[in-house]
Amino acid sequence: MDLIIGQVLPYLAVVVFIGGVTWRIWRWMIPRIVHNIALSPFPGSWSAAIVWMLWQLATFWNLLKFDRSLWLGAWFMHIPLFLMLGGHITAFYTLGLQFHLAAPGIITPKLSLNMSDWIGTVLGIIFLLALVYLLGRRLVNEQTRAISSASDYVHLLLLIAIAVLGNLMRLFPEYHLGYAPVREYLAGLFLFNPQPLPEHAIFITKYTLVMVLMIIFPFSKLMHSFGFFWERWIVNRPFAEPARGLPGARLQLRK
Amino acid sequence: MPFVEIEGKQIEVDEDGFMVDPAQWWPGWAHYVAKQEGIPELTERHWHVIEFLKDYYAKTGIAPMIRKLCKESGIPLKEMYELFPTGPAKGACKCAGLPKPTGCV
Amino acid sequence: MSEVTGLRQPKRASVDLFRKLGVEPVPDNEKVQMAIRHIDEFRFKVRSFVMAMESCVKCGACAENCHTYLGTRDPNNIPAGRVDLIRKAYKRYFTVQGQLFPGLVGAQDLDLETIEKWYSYFYQCSECRRCAHVCPFGLDTAEVTMIGRQILFWLGIGPQLHTATAGAILRTGNHMGLTKAGIIDTLEFLAEEIEEDYEGLKVEFPVDKPDSDILYIPSSADFMLNANTLKGAAMFFKYVGANWTISSEITEAGNFGYLMDQNRIQREMVTRLMEQATKLGAKKIVWGECGHGWRAAKMYVSTVSDLPASRRIPITHIHDEIEAYIKAGLLELDPKRNDRKVTLHDPCNYARACGHADNMRVIMNAVVPKGAFVEMKPNREANFCCGGGSGILFDDPDMYQFRIQASNKKAEQVRETEADTLCAPCSICKAQLYPMVKEHKLPVEVVGLVDLVGHALVFRD
Repeated sequence: MDLIIGQVLPYLAVVVFIGGVTWRIWRWMIPRIVHNIALSPFPGSWSAAIVWMLWQLATFWNLLKFDRSLWLGAWFMHIPLFLMLGGHITAFYTLGLQFHLAAPGIITPKLSLNMSDWIGTVLGIIFLLALVYLLGRRLVNEQTRAISSASDYVHLLLLIAIAVLGNLMRLFPEYHLGYAPVREYLAGLFLFNPQPLPEHAIFITKYTLVMVLMIIFPFSKLMHSFGFFWERWIVNRPFAEPARGLPGARLQLRK
Repeated sequence: MPFVEIEGKQIEVDEDGFMVDPAQWWPGWAHYVAKQEGIPELTERHWHVIEFLKDYYAKTGIAPMIRKLCKESGIPLKEMYELFPTGPAKGACKCAGLPKPTGCV
Repeated sequence: MSEVTGLRQPKRASVDLFRKLGVEPVPDNEKVQMAIRHIDEFRFKVRSFVMAMESCVKCGACAENCHTYLGTRDPNNIPAGRVDLIRKAYKRYFTVQGQLFPGLVGAQDLDLETIEKWYSYFYQCSECRRCAHVCPFGLDTAEVTMIGRQILFWLGIGPQLHTATAGAILRTGNHMGLTKAGIIDTLEFLAEEIEEDYEGLKVEFPVDKPDSDILYIPSSADFMLNANTLKGAAMFFKYVGANWTISSEITEAGNFGYLMDQNRIQREMVTRLMEQATKLGAKKIVWGECGHGWRAAKMYVSTVSDLPASRRIPITHIHDEIEAYIKAGLLELDPKRNDRKVTLHDPCNYARACGHADNMRVIMNAVVPKGAFVEMKPNREANFCCGGGSGILFDDPDMYQFRIQASNKKAEQVRETEADTLCAPCSICKAQLYPMVKEHKLPVEVVGLVDLVGHALVFRD
């Protein structure tokens, strides 16, 4: 088990994830943007277009404006997810000292650890609640249920399972697993110097589910995280208006 | 395209039952359409409109603008709708053997 | 309802009509295979199509934002659900997950029944792109409707209305089948009307006049239904002293090709436009009131014609020009002549595809008295479609009923403004709103925007 889950599956997951995402994006790049189908009002420049995309990304503006109840679930699911992804990477790498290392004069190592604990815990709970809310919405909201297929529920259940296991490890001291053993194991993977998986059933289960998620990612709607940029690149782009004024007319616009 | 038989004649019509070739028009066609349109009897006023449409179409190849039809035939729009319940552009043109208007109508 | 399929479908064009357009209808037993081949080709051609196929998360935000769904409550009219009519097959044939686990990911073999559903639902969608506007990713399901309609067209399936209109385009260069004699006679009649209504004002409507600086492209529907729009445009050109003309070869601001056959019919219109503009020596093309056609002109002509920039003739909309002349203070307008409580319907293609939300308001505020203009809600880019967008102006009883349902939301919006005039500067909107107003018993008159401009212009000499 240690060999398959601990030493083989991780490499497989990473290869499938990176390879799959690259393949999908490569295929998106083959067809052209045939006509300018930008949505108006057109941004004045490419930088304005990019600011608009980032604004959409950060606030989920369209949902906030047009579907408030969905926004509630979607924003409180995605934002904690991104923050926690960043949290996982930095906390395992620095053993929870990320805040201290970022602002050494202000934040002590102990405070950094506490912050990591608290922020992680709060985000984890929000994330789980939002996921459950989204699942409930998908089941209760007649329109959404009508267009859902089984995989839409599977993705949510998978994320819920990962969130539950993560929260178990955070909230219950008896299930807790420190940063150090995990870092040691992960470092082994990165340096091709195999280290045994920490013997911790919840961790191993959660870790396996994450790898499953990475493997299905390129073959599912989870690709929307990249699709967002590719689609907005099509519909949010500047357009140069032709000059006004009627050539040859008696009344001419002042130049 | 489908055909209908009226008074022993085979008449080609489009999907909406409009005559395909206006040259085939004869009064029997107008009576036939009137029945379909729920017009009990073609009065002199009806014929006035039909003749106007036919003449105009022969001259220009199109149906007249409704305002022009009313103004030049002397039949106000309200009466036009009483004469042809589906309207001058559909009912009246159909009786007169004009093609069905296409596009944004 | 179609008696054969049990679906809500517009009356079909005959095989003969398709043959006239150069399309040999595909026999039933080959339709499915052919449709799959077309999808396969499109996925290597059109990126917006691929993104709509592959990036939707089925969040359902589009549902309550689609007037067609609001009017029918049919799940296949939820934009994401409508796209699924193609997406299920796309997944089945062109994705790993759909080939391995069709049941899990909602992939399905394509069959004739589904193609019949395409015909039903892609002609209930008005391509208004409100779903693209509200989608968190900006996914444009109108692109899928367009491709769906294109494939249907190639299979030999299409509504009588659109197909017959395409026939008129090939014959005459306009949707109504207007002939040159008819065009000239109608315009003479309008010149007489102006002379009678505006104290002897003499306005000319030049047709095919060589060496014209401006080629004006009116909607052919203006020759039948919306005469005041045409008159307003002529009065504006008269006022500014433009050297303008209308071409009898392309008397059409619309482009039904764009709505159903972007491959052949849309190009026909663009080719005619370029030829005529060059022939008449036009330095600029000015577009009349037509929503989809204006999008097809403004956003598509450069790519469809594929002409080099040096050969392109600039194209603007008459609203753009009127706005610029108003802003420059060059028009004397008397708003009191339009003393009515007016609301503005933002045509979808103006507001969401062409960036016209501002110019229409500049014009409106200049031509009606202060306080007479009331906004409907939502408005501008978030406005709802009239219900007739993309030419779904069918008159067979069931489809007519559908049109009225699809305009429920619009009727509600208009009613709330308590306006007596509904300005809808687009021929499809006008053609949809005339009956809509009647069926929903709204006490409003439907007018164009240029109509109000013409009426307010003060001629001094």
